[in-house]
Amino acid sequence: MSRVLVPCHVKGTVALQVGDVRTSQGRPGVLVIDVTFPSVAPFELQEITFKNYYTAFLSIRVRQYTSMHTPVKWVTCLRDYCLMPDPHSEEGAQEYVSLFKHQSPSMTFPKWLSHPVPCEQPAPHLEGLPNPSSVSSEVQQMWALTEMVRASHTSTKIGRFDVDGCYDLNLLSYT
Amino acid sequence: MLQEESDLSLTIAQIVQKLKGSNLYAQLERQAWASLQRPEIKLESLKEDIKEFFKTSGWEKKLQNAVYSELSVFPLPSHPAAPPEHLKELVYMRKAQGSWEKRILKSLNSMCTELSIPLARKRPVGEQKELLNKWNEMGTDEPDLSLFRPVYAPKDFLEVLINLRNPNYENGDSLSFRTHLGLIQVPLKVKDIPELKEFFVELGLTTGQLGIDDSTQVPPELFENEHVRIGQKVLVEQDSAAAQQYIRQGSPTALRAELWALILNISSQPEDILYYEQLKTNVIQHDLLVDSLIYKDVKLTASNDDYYFVFEDYLYQVLLCFSRDTSVLAHFAYNSASPPKSYIRGKLGMEEYAVFYPPNGVIPFHGFSMYVAPLCFLYHEPSRLYQMFREMYVRFFFRLHSISSHPSGIVSLCLLFETLLQTYLPQLFYHLREIGAQPLRISFKWMVRAFSGYLATDQLLLLWDRILGYNSLEILPVLAAAVFAFRAVNLMEVTSLAAAEAVLADLSTLKVMPLLQIFLFATVT
Repeated sequence: MSRVLVPCHVKGTVALQVGDVRTSQGRPGVLVIDVTFPSVAPFELQEITFKNYYTAFLSIRVRQYTSMHTPVKWVTCLRDYCLMPDPHSEEGAQEYVSLFKHQSPSMTFPKWLSHPVPCEQPAPHLEGLPNPSSVSSEVQQMWALTEMVRASHTSTKIGRFDVDGCYDLNLLSYT
Repeated sequence: MLQEESDLSLTIAQIVQKLKGSNLYAQLERQAWASLQRPEIKLESLKEDIKEFFKTSGWEKKLQNAVYSELSVFPLPSHPAAPPEHLKELVYMRKAQGSWEKRILKSLNSMCTELSIPLARKRPVGEQKELLNKWNEMGTDEPDLSLFRPVYAPKDFLEVLINLRNPNYENGDSLSFRTHLGLIQVPLKVKDIPELKEFFVELGLTTGQLGIDDSTQVPPELFENEHVRIGQKVLVEQDSAAAQQYIRQGSPTALRAELWALILNISSQPEDILYYEQLKTNVIQHDLLVDSLIYKDVKLTASNDDYYFVFEDYLYQVLLCFSRDTSVLAHFAYNSASPPKSYIRGKLGMEEYAVFYPPNGVIPFHGFSMYVAPLCFLYHEPSRLYQMFREMYVRFFFRLHSISSHPSGIVSLCLLFETLLQTYLPQLFYHLREIGAQPLRISFKWMVRAFSGYLATDQLLLLWDRILGYNSLEILPVLAAAVFAFRAVNLMEVTSLAAAEAVLADLSTLKVMPLLQIFLFATVT
């Protein structure tokens, strides 16, 4: 399973607000980010990854072009997906998030147009513990990932704190 | 791959990697090889037979305990895309921790230059011999510490926490039910009493407790005898998870030392004793500025305490070694703090000559030695005492003096305390605020020291039983709020911060378990 980053262009956020932006007192609670894909070749979207910054709920809508004669339609792939369980506190506020294809079952390329996602899509629920042998095969894949994560981080005991027997220090450094 | 399965796989992979470097792994390998001699191990079913052998010989239990230990400490699996930095913290908290650390470094550097004392130096041979000779009675030494001052005190740290702000959080100018009337102004999620009741369910009115149901008026047949019997059974089984569950109801005095060691998965192997001896050698060879800070702290706090002054020598033997222990650096992987750095003299900026200072990355503050003192009642062998303290520090105590959003971090604990008081004792909270006695200013020092030095030792140990049992420090703010509730009548009468401090100056007569139980389960809300 080789996965490739799809080049995309992320536009600046636009606030959804009724009325004049300048005179209005309140701050809008809904912001829209437009993402476009400059490459023309069709692709199958597997995963969207981003770092959250105080967004509580996320909806994703997709607009697709197929042929010249069918009118373009906006399809909702994800509606009000909760990123912050309590929007007034810090939980989930600065988390890294991945959204997978399976979380939006209709997010397969040809089906988008015909099957919009119904409102409530509970996440797949595991009954009890997963099968140990299937988990251990996943571990092999995860191994490569953890090696990457820990590449800069040594987990071995260091032991000696001096350099060649010398621990003659001047001052602490502020880096 | 489903998200939950991939999270589990990631956690397993990381724990396996950690355990691979441990003594236990080497021992298991040796045991597996040795077991091939045994008649019940057959070649056709080698894997299953060895697994069975591990089960019956108790090695599987040791592995279970080790995994359980890792899980208790382990931060949640990080997103593969997130850099290791992110494991640590919210951006504004990281920044605040960074500036706080810079202030500490500056303070230490200026102490260095003012007193013309190096951060570290190698001891001349004569001095090394002298120190070795009086290793067991370092308390008798009376070095001139008058010029040294603690790098910081808890109240300095409190000021930093009070000034913590989330740049994305707008409280608004007008007061609302969401306005924080206390000192902490960051919107962390803290448990309310219904959630605390659920979390601390074993402290409920219908469950037996040591600290309540073992008092002299209660016949021991009702609870105590059975509880002790179960405790002995737990120790025989050597199961960490069972011990942790058991100790939520308190530990019998006779079993406490072993139970705590079992829960923290500390076994004193010959390697551990050797390691401690190596640390002792490091102390003999190199003199650190931090040593003087430790001496000063012990002299100022533990030596003046009626309960702990007898342990003065032990405290030096533990804390001086602690400063040289590089294995403590591993805890910075889940600590929002960073260890201070320095360079070998004359090699400024050259990475091959970069070192951490002190070697364990922890600069002690005023009151630090009080984390060790209560343990001296339980452990008398220096290397074992040392191991237990080190584990307690890297699991719990470090959270009390670093800025993070962790539920057991000091910021959350402070907010939990203030929220509990404001919600359930609003009149008292309002009154204290009006007279300029913000409750947190009084309770902060209790929580930073985990009540060490404020409660009677038997009560303190009952409290620390629950810290271990629930693997959380949240019991500290609950107790702090319970103390305020207990003395509410007197506190309502006072008209100044000094008077409020006086009402709450002496906690040595308090019984913690009844206070906790009443506050959580028997207060009409």
